[in-house]
Amino acid sequence: MSPTDLTPLSPAFFHILLSLGAGERHGYAIKREIAARTEGKLKLGPGVLYGSINKMVELGLIEETDARPDPHLDDQRRRYYRITTYGRKVARAEGARMRDLVQLAAATFGVRRHA
Amino acid sequence: MRDAPFSLKLYRWLLRFYPADFRANYAGPMEQEFRDELAQSTGPWALTALWGQLLADLAISIPVQLSREASQDVRHTLRLWASRPWHTVFAIAALAIGIGANTGVFSVVNALLLRSLPFRDPGRLAALNHAEYIPPHGSAKQFHDWRQQSTYFSDVALTEEFDVNLGGVRDPARAHLAQTSWNFFSTLGTQPVLGRAFMPEEDTPGRNAIAIVGYGLWQQLFAGDRRVLGATIRIDGDPLTIVGVAPPGFDYPGGAVIWKPAKFDGEGNNGWDTVARLKPGITWPQAREAFYAEADRLFPNRYTKRPRVTPLRDGLAGPARNGSLMLMAGVLLVLLMACTNVANLLMARTADRAAELSVRSALGASRARLAQQLLTECLLLSFVAAIAGLVLAYWTTAIAVKVQPPPLAAQSYSILDGRVLGFAALASILSSLLFGVLPSLYAGRIHTFGTRDSGQTRGSRLVRETLVAAQVMLTIILFTASVSVGRAFVKLMGTDRGFDVQGLVTVNVSLGGTTQQLTHRELPYFEEALARVRRLPFVRSASATEFLPLYATGFLGGPAGLDGRPAKRGAMVVPVLSEYLQTMGGRMLGGRDLTDADVHSGARVAVVNEHFAREFGGPAEVLGRQVTQGNTPLYKIVGVVQGMDYETDPSATADRNQIFFPSHAPGGFFSTFVVRVNGRAEDRLAIVRDTIRSVDPQVPVFGAKTMAERLDDTFARPKFYRTAVLLFAAFALLLAVIGIYGIVSYAVVQRTHEMGIRMALGTTPVRLRGILLRQGLLTVAAGAIPGVAGAMLSGRFLESLITGAKSVDLATSTLSVLFIALVASASIWAATRRIAGLDIMTILRTE
Repeated sequence: MSPTDLTPLSPAFFHILLSLGAGERHGYAIKREIAARTEGKLKLGPGVLYGSINKMVELGLIEETDARPDPHLDDQRRRYYRITTYGRKVARAEGARMRDLVQLAAATFGVRRHA
Repeated sequence: MRDAPFSLKLYRWLLRFYPADFRANYAGPMEQEFRDELAQSTGPWALTALWGQLLADLAISIPVQLSREASQDVRHTLRLWASRPWHTVFAIAALAIGIGANTGVFSVVNALLLRSLPFRDPGRLAALNHAEYIPPHGSAKQFHDWRQQSTYFSDVALTEEFDVNLGGVRDPARAHLAQTSWNFFSTLGTQPVLGRAFMPEEDTPGRNAIAIVGYGLWQQLFAGDRRVLGATIRIDGDPLTIVGVAPPGFDYPGGAVIWKPAKFDGEGNNGWDTVARLKPGITWPQAREAFYAEADRLFPNRYTKRPRVTPLRDGLAGPARNGSLMLMAGVLLVLLMACTNVANLLMARTADRAAELSVRSALGASRARLAQQLLTECLLLSFVAAIAGLVLAYWTTAIAVKVQPPPLAAQSYSILDGRVLGFAALASILSSLLFGVLPSLYAGRIHTFGTRDSGQTRGSRLVRETLVAAQVMLTIILFTASVSVGRAFVKLMGTDRGFDVQGLVTVNVSLGGTTQQLTHRELPYFEEALARVRRLPFVRSASATEFLPLYATGFLGGPAGLDGRPAKRGAMVVPVLSEYLQTMGGRMLGGRDLTDADVHSGARVAVVNEHFAREFGGPAEVLGRQVTQGNTPLYKIVGVVQGMDYETDPSATADRNQIFFPSHAPGGFFSTFVVRVNGRAEDRLAIVRDTIRSVDPQVPVFGAKTMAERLDDTFARPKFYRTAVLLFAAFALLLAVIGIYGIVSYAVVQRTHEMGIRMALGTTPVRLRGILLRQGLLTVAAGAIPGVAGAMLSGRFLESLITGAKSVDLATSTLSVLFIALVASASIWAATRRIAGLDIMTILRTE
């Protein structure tokens, strides 16, 4: 499947990819990071979060990893995920799509640096 | 973990609502996440906010995940169905029969018994049987005084119903009328939808020229016009002012469409029915006791039978009640059989799929996930079966409508009744759970033990074989019953009734209230009508009678003798016009039929039946002698005819004396023209009816039917039972076949390994199939023995359903056992088909 087949991505998918792009995370960390990044505007509940993760694993965007950063610090039940190569391509395609949109918006309305 | 806070416990419990796969993968991390959140949320506000977010999250994501996994399961199921279509068709058929027959019969029972009557609090309404007791009714005052002082009835109303001629509207017609005491509507607690009910003292002469019309009549004759109030209709010629319209569906008593206040003048008030409402706080036994005591006090020694107080509802359902309840029991049994069968089929399927399930389980599918898959299959199966079952139910009710008992004529067996649909849905869900759970548990066991041949225990096999044997038993009972009932029905229809049914047209007229009656010109009217009908080219002969065979209700007549010698039994007297016996196709044993001259001249002559003649020495002996009442001569006997069946039960009229005499003033209640025609009677109906109508358009002409149709109507109920029993037998047979097929194919799968070894040792597939056949037939034999015994015992019940049904004989039972054994063998052979295709090496290599 070509990366552009999946775009536009849902905001939840894109944010999850963004988080995992920076490194392996477990679910709860992804959630907190997204909440912080969006200033609390996008709060993923656990059901929606793992539903999205499930779907993304199925699509091959992300995968589960066996690696545990520090077994002493962490609970066995946490699951860690990392982005796949395909996931990176899709995220990149989505970023490009957004950039084009932003450029179009700027040409049409003019976008100020600090809105 | 032990002292987990309540919040955590609740969340864990809520997580169980996620589907199996999702739960297996993510319940752990989600719970961990919840702990983290919980640790950070201090204080009641934070906790409330956390739960608010979580509940919203659960509400959104649970349905999404459920539908995702369900659609996967459904796709998987459809692939499986396509891979073994026969298996699927069998399972759906078995369930559809169970659900469909159930819904159909429930619709009928619902219409007859359960559906609420259009009365307020119908459970408190009682009927007093008028044949046994009539409250004091010498005058309106006497009756109302009696009812007002009653200690156990809060209200009592009298009704009397009969057919009347309806005039003062566009087309004259016949209508069913009830005359009632003024408090009839208030006793039932029914309010007219338009206008008012009767008022106190309107049931006294001079004030009672008013009427309430039924909703249907209002729509039909007045097109729902509100100006109906104050309009005048003529009932048997008398003008009545309409004061109200009854609510839709209200047709009590006996399908009445017009109600008028009775007048208590003592004349003709013999057919009173009584409806009463129990006083608050009075129980049925108390009311009965008080009623007996009062009846004994008012009329000591009058009753040979104790008068009864029965719930009105029972009376309305009538004799159909027992039959319907028995059918209901039968149908529940059929549903149970269907469920066991589908369970058997699914067990066989599950065992067959053991390899697939083991592989899936090894690939990480949890036991819950596999159970969920199997449950989805079951639900889908029930869903498809429920739809097929509704179609079947529709047919069942279509049959039932044909025997709609008259007291409930206004109520239809609507299949779209919410309760009926609810019942079907419940039946299908319950049955799917019933057979969904067993195979799922079994699937669990596969997973637990992980081997292919550990599932079958001796006990579970015994249970299944017993169930199949029970089905064989039931099938034999139903099968022999259907043969017996079918035979009785053929006999009933083939009975010689003393008249010829074919080519006979019948048309009813009523002169009540017409100018013909008021001017005493009844006979000229009939003579003119007969003359016109007889001139029609296709008419062979025509006549008229006051009573038509099969329509007599009870005994009409009195004591009669010959030349002053009394007969042993009273005689039924039938007033007829000329050529009646010839037209009916009666067989003259001597003498002649009645002629126009006999009728016109008022001659006192009669034709007697064979039974009467035999009592006095035979046909030749009685000709020319006098029929007498006491010592008074009534009629000179001019002919002897073979008797005609005037009642539906042939044995009731076989030993009855009958006297046919010329009717000099016909048309009193209503009369029936009988016309024997050339060609098909159906094709002549309209012309005969129109010819009679042309004589006087004011006279209501109705009930134009062939005699064959009337016979069909009369025997609709036995016909219904015959059809029902036949259908049940067919259903049972089909279910038994499915059951046997299921259990044998299960055994085949179960013993594949053993058979592989046997084949390796030189046994042929045919011999192996023979062994299975013998074992299967052993189960059949185990069911056949109690089946034959049950068939013999069921005779008494059959006799109560259909007159003439005899207990089952040994030959019939033997034949049905052989038949079932044959069908069973065929299905066993089909189920063992796959043995022939077994590859020894494949089987042995799996070890």
